[in-house]
Amino acid sequence: MELTRRDFLKASAAAAAFAAAGAQALAPRLASAADDKGIKWGKAPCRYCGVGCCVLVGVKDGRIVATKGDPAGPVNKGLNCIKGYFLSKALYGKDRLTHPLIRKGNKMVKASWDEALNLIASKYKEAIARSGPDSVAIYGSGQWTVFEGYTAVKLFKGGIGTNNVEPNARLCMASAVVGFMNTFGSDEPMGCYDDLDLGDTYILWGANMAEAHPVLFSRLIDNKLKNKKVKIIDIATRRTRTTQMADEYIPMHPQGDLAALNAIAHVILRDKLYDESFVKQHVTFKRGTENQPYGLKDKENPKEEPKPLTFDEYKQLMKQFTPEWAEKLSGIPAKKIEHLAQLYTDKSRKVNSLWTMGVNQHVRGVWVNNLIYNLHLLTGKICKPGENPLSLTGQPSACGTAREVGTFAHRLPADMVVMNEAHRKKTAEIWGIDPKKISPKVGLHTMEMYRAIDRGELKCLWIQCTNPFQSIPNLSRYRKAAQARKAFIVVSDIYPTRSTEVADVILPSASWVEKEGVFGNTERRTQHWFKMIEPPGEAKEDTWQLIEFAKRLGHGNLFPYSQKNFHKEMWEEYRKFTIGTGKDLAPYETYHKVRGLRWPVKSNGQETRWRYTDADDPYVKKGEGVKFYKAPGNKATIWFRPYEPPAESPNSEYPFWYCTGRLLEHWHTATMTGRVPELKRAMPGATLEMHPEDAARLGIKNRDKVKVSSRRGSVVLTAEINGRGKPEKGNVFTTFFDETKLINDLCIDAFDPLSKEPDFKKCAVKVEKA
Amino acid sequence: MNFKRWGIARCAVQLLMIALLASPLAGLAIFTGNLAAAELLGLPLADPLAFLQALLGGRVFVLSYLLSALLVVGFYFLLGGRTFCGWVCPVGLVTELADRLRRKLGTGTQTLPLTLNRWSLALVLLVVMATGVPLFELLSPIGIISRAIVFAALLPLLLVAAILLMELLVARRVWCRSLCPLGGFYSLLAAFSPLRIGFVAEQCTHCNDCLKVCPVEEVLQPSLELNHPQVVAGDCTRCMACLDACPAKALKISIGYQPVSRDVTDPLKGGR
Amino acid sequence: MCMDSDAKNTGISRRLFLKGSILTPLALALGSAAISAVYLRPAQARGFYLRPPGAIEEARFLAACVKCGKCAQACPYKSIVMAGGEAGVGIGTPHIVPRENPCYLCPDLPCVKACPSGALDKQLTEVEKVRMGTAVIVDREGCLSIRGLRCEVCYRQCPLIDKAITIENRHNIRTGEHTIMEPVIHKDKCVGCGICEKVCVREKPVIAVQQRVTEQKDFYEF
Repeated sequence: MELTRRDFLKASAAAAAFAAAGAQALAPRLASAADDKGIKWGKAPCRYCGVGCCVLVGVKDGRIVATKGDPAGPVNKGLNCIKGYFLSKALYGKDRLTHPLIRKGNKMVKASWDEALNLIASKYKEAIARSGPDSVAIYGSGQWTVFEGYTAVKLFKGGIGTNNVEPNARLCMASAVVGFMNTFGSDEPMGCYDDLDLGDTYILWGANMAEAHPVLFSRLIDNKLKNKKVKIIDIATRRTRTTQMADEYIPMHPQGDLAALNAIAHVILRDKLYDESFVKQHVTFKRGTENQPYGLKDKENPKEEPKPLTFDEYKQLMKQFTPEWAEKLSGIPAKKIEHLAQLYTDKSRKVNSLWTMGVNQHVRGVWVNNLIYNLHLLTGKICKPGENPLSLTGQPSACGTAREVGTFAHRLPADMVVMNEAHRKKTAEIWGIDPKKISPKVGLHTMEMYRAIDRGELKCLWIQCTNPFQSIPNLSRYRKAAQARKAFIVVSDIYPTRSTEVADVILPSASWVEKEGVFGNTERRTQHWFKMIEPPGEAKEDTWQLIEFAKRLGHGNLFPYSQKNFHKEMWEEYRKFTIGTGKDLAPYETYHKVRGLRWPVKSNGQETRWRYTDADDPYVKKGEGVKFYKAPGNKATIWFRPYEPPAESPNSEYPFWYCTGRLLEHWHTATMTGRVPELKRAMPGATLEMHPEDAARLGIKNRDKVKVSSRRGSVVLTAEINGRGKPEKGNVFTTFFDETKLINDLCIDAFDPLSKEPDFKKCAVKVEKA
Repeated sequence: MNFKRWGIARCAVQLLMIALLASPLAGLAIFTGNLAAAELLGLPLADPLAFLQALLGGRVFVLSYLLSALLVVGFYFLLGGRTFCGWVCPVGLVTELADRLRRKLGTGTQTLPLTLNRWSLALVLLVVMATGVPLFELLSPIGIISRAIVFAALLPLLLVAAILLMELLVARRVWCRSLCPLGGFYSLLAAFSPLRIGFVAEQCTHCNDCLKVCPVEEVLQPSLELNHPQVVAGDCTRCMACLDACPAKALKISIGYQPVSRDVTDPLKGGR
Repeated sequence: MCMDSDAKNTGISRRLFLKGSILTPLALALGSAAISAVYLRPAQARGFYLRPPGAIEEARFLAACVKCGKCAQACPYKSIVMAGGEAGVGIGTPHIVPRENPCYLCPDLPCVKACPSGALDKQLTEVEKVRMGTAVIVDREGCLSIRGLRCEVCYRQCPLIDKAITIENRHNIRTGEHTIMEPVIHKDKCVGCGICEKVCVREKPVIAVQQRVTEQKDFYEF
C-alpha cells in the first residue's frame, strides 16, 4: 500500500514536474522539460491567499526552478490558481531588495546591517527614553510566518513593554475575530473546507469567492456539479464571476446586510422556525452598545457594554425588523428575505454561510458577523459536517500568525488579551519574564498608529511584510505625514513599494521559502515549510532582523534559542500557549511530514475538522453533543444588533457608492504578482467598473479615462463597462493592486468601533470623464 | 551659379511634404495618411490612381473617396499635372538627389522613352481589373517611402534602393520619366493644364543650359527648337529648373492656352 | 553643335542603342523577377493576417486597401501595424498582431472612419458586429483552465464576456472534488479582437485568433 502510493506520488510528481517545468522553459535558468534531474522538491503552503493551497517547490543550484500544486495536498490536490502557478517567478523580480538602505535627504543610501540596525535601535531607544514605550510600534502582517509574528509580539509586549503591535489583518479579518470572540469566546471557524464538499446550501454574503478564493470556489462548484440539490446564493452589491456560477443572485444596497440578516432572523422568530432546544441549551442573548461613533475622529475609543437579554426580550426587540422594513434599507424584496429565511430553516438543507471582506471591511462588520452567527445559532445549523458558518480568511496566515499568535494591540497568543491579568500572567510564565513587563494598556490599533504618526505622538514605526502606504484608507493624510518625516519609519520588504518610498530605513527581507516558516490558513490548517534557498544579497528573514534589533535594545535574552534548532525551540515555546485551550498545536516535527494539520490537534496526532462537537473536538466529551466550551457558560451569544447607516453615503454631489476589492490575477498591492510578467500582462492596470446605464448617462464608454473623486482624494482610471464585474446602479468598483493608482486614497477611514477595521467598501464618490 | 529661387522653393515644398507625412509622429494632428489617401486639416485628399485601383480591384465605391480624388485631380489639372512629380512626390526628391550623384559619376546615361509611362499606367489598370491585384499600390515606391517615414517599415526600401541603383548605373531617372504609372496618369491630365512654361524666343541665347537641367529634355527641346510659346508637354513637371538656369529670361511661367503658330517660316512665331 | 552634345546624352548612337536595348531591358527583367519573387506571393502565404475591424473579404481587401496607413494612425492603442515585404501581395496593408497589441474595440471605430477607400466597410458601426476572426483554443493540453487550475484569464478579460467566451464546468475526475472551468468560444459572438490571445498566461498563447470559422447549421436543437 505504502509503496504503491509513494510510487504513484513520485510518478505524478515527475509528470507534473515535466509539465510545470516545461512551462518555465524560457525564463532565465528555469528548468526545461527534460531537465527534471537534480531538482529537489520540498513542500510549502502557497505564498498567497487564505485558501492555503499546498505546493511543491523545486530547487536546483540554489534557485527555485519550478513550482507545482502538491497532488498530496488535501486543500487543492495539485491545483493552483495562476498566482500560485507562477510562484517561482514572484521572488525573482529584477528590483529585489538586497541591501539595507538608509535615507539621507531624498536619497536612499546603501548601508550595512550593523549601521541600519544600530540606527533603528538608537531611534527606538531615544523615543522610548523620551516619550515612553508607547511611542514606538511595529506593524506586521497576516503574511508573517508564525515565527516572525511571535518574535514581534514577544519583543514588543514582553521586552519593550508596549502593546503597539498590529498586523495588516486589522484591515481584513478583525471584524471576524471580534465576531468569533464575542459569540463563541474563541477565534476561528468551527467548520472547515470539508463543509464545502458536504453541504448543499451556500449563502455568500458579499464574497467574490470565484476570484478571491479560487481553488476553494472550484471545490464548491464541484459539489454543485455532483449534487443537484446544491444551491449557491450570491448576495452582493455587484455581479461577479461568482454570480455567474451561482444559482441565485440577490442584489443588495451597501450596508443592507445589517437589515437583511435581521429580517431573516425576524422571520425565523416570527414563524417559530428556530430550534428551540438548541437555543435553550447552547445560546445566551445579549445586547451591545449602539450609536457608537465611526472612528472618524482621532483617539475615539468606544467600548462595548453588553447587557444580557432573555430570549423573549430578544424576540420582542426583533419584532421591528420585518422583511418590508429590510426591503427599504437593503433593496432586497421582502419575498426574497422570506425565501432566504426558508432556506436557512429548511430542515432538509445543510446550510452554510460564507463571507469575507464584504462583511468584515464594514463600519458595523462585527455586527454583521454576529448576525450571521445568529441565524446558525437560532436554527442549530452549526458545528455539523457540511453545515457551518465559514468565515473565509484573506491572507495566508492571518489565522496562523496574526490571530493565533495575537499580533494585535490588545492580544496575546491563543485568544488571550492584554487587559486580562491572568492572561498576562500565563504569558509571562511561558516567556519567563515578570508579568508586570506586559502592559495592560491596549496599544494603538492600525488606524490610530498612522494617525498618531500624523499627530507626532508615535515616533517610531517598523513595517514588515505589508504595504500600508498603498493600502490604508484616506491614504494621503498618512502619506503626507510620513513624507513630512513626522516619524522614523522602517520598512522590511522584498521589493521597492509605495511604503519603502516613504521609509527612513529599508531592510531587505527573505521571502517565503528563503526562510523556514509556518502559516495557518482559513480552516485552521497549520502548514510548515523548510528553508529551501538562500535569500538574495544580504536579505534576512524578519525574525533575524527583530532579534538583532532586540539584542541592541537589551532584550536579546528573550530569544535564547539555539542557532541549530531555532525554529523548533521557538515553536515548542509558542505551542505551550495552545495546549489545553482547544487550539492545540502539534509538536514541531509533526508538521514536517504532513500537509498541515487542523487544530486542535488531538493527543493521538489527529487533526480536528469540526470544533465544539463531540463528533470531532477532543475537548467535547462523547454525549455532550455541541458544547461551546470557550464561551462563558458554554453558551454562544446571540447579539441584538440593529441597523445603523454607513459612515458616508452618496448625495447629490458625490452620487456613487465606491467599493474596492481584489481580483484573481493579482495579490493585494501586487508587489509580488506585479513582478510576474505573465500576470502583469494578463492584468496590467486597475479599472473602474460601472453599471452600463450609469456610464451611458455620463457619456462614458468602455476604456474611456474617467476621474473618480471623493471628499478625500481622486484618481484617474480606465472605465470598464460590461467586464468581469457589473456593479449595481449607483455603485462603482475598483481594485487596489495598481501601484500607480492609489485608489484607497478615496476611501474613508471610518471603522467598526469594536474591531477597528476600516470600511473599504462604502464611501461616496463622483465620476466624470477625464 | 544664380540664385535658384524655384529650385529652393520646390525643395522646400518637397521637404514640407515629408514633414507632413512625419507630423503624426510628433503628435500633430494636421495630417494623417500618406500620398495614397490623406487628410490635411480635415480635408480628405486621395491619389486618383489609388482610387481607381481600389474601385476596380476591390470593387468598393466610397463617394467621399471619389470626391477627394477628384479634388486632387482638379488641383493638379490646374497646376500642371506632373507638378505632383516635381513638387510633391518624395520619390521625386530622392531620385533627384540620386541624379546629382549620377551626374558626378558620369554613369547611367541611357534613357527610356517617356511614353512608356502611359503603357505602364495601362498595364496597371488592366492587371487590377483582370486579377484584382493592385499592382501599383504594391510596388509603388511612393507608398514605400511614405510608410518608411511614418511606420518605420524599412525593409521594402530595398525596392527603392534597387530603383536608385538602376538610375545611377543604367538609365537615368528611369522610374519617374518612363515607368511610374502615376506619372503617366498625370501626364495625360497635364496635356490640358493651364499652367505652363512659356518661351520667349527673342530672348533665347541658345546656350542650352535649360536643356542640361531639364529631366524631360525630350519635351523641352522640341518646343524650344520650334519656338513654341509654351511647353505643352504633359510630361513637364513644372520644376522650373529651366527658369532658374536661363541667363536670359527667355523662359517664364505662362498661364493660359497660347496657340502654336502654323506659320512655319516665321522664326518668331514657331517657324524656322 | 548643341545637337551633337545632346545626341550623346540621348543615346542615339547605334552601339549605345543596342547596349541600351539589351542591357536596360535585361536589368528591368531581372528586377521584375526579383520583385515578383519577393512580393507577388499570396498575402497569407505566411499565415492569417488579422485585419482591422470592418475589413472586407480578403481578396478584395488587398486591392481596396490603398495602404495609406490612416487606420493605423487612427488607432489609439497602436494596435494596427503595416505589413512588410513578407506579406507578399499584402505589403503595406494594415493588420493586428494580438499578442503584441490586440484590438480594444473602440466604440466609435476610428479605424473604420479613417479608411478612405472602403477597405474597412463603413457600414460597420457596432463593435459587437465586428468579425475580424475567431478565437480558438489551439492547445487544449496547455490550457491551465482545462487542466483544472484556476486561470480563465481569457474569459475574464474578454470584452464580450459570457457572450463570446463562456465557462463550461465539469467535474475534475483526477482530484474528485474540484471543477474544471473550461473557456468555450462562441464563434457567432467572437469578434476576433485578440485580447484573449494577449492575456493568455502561457508562454505561447494557447488561445489565438484565427480566420473566421463559419457556422455549419443543422436542425438539431442542441
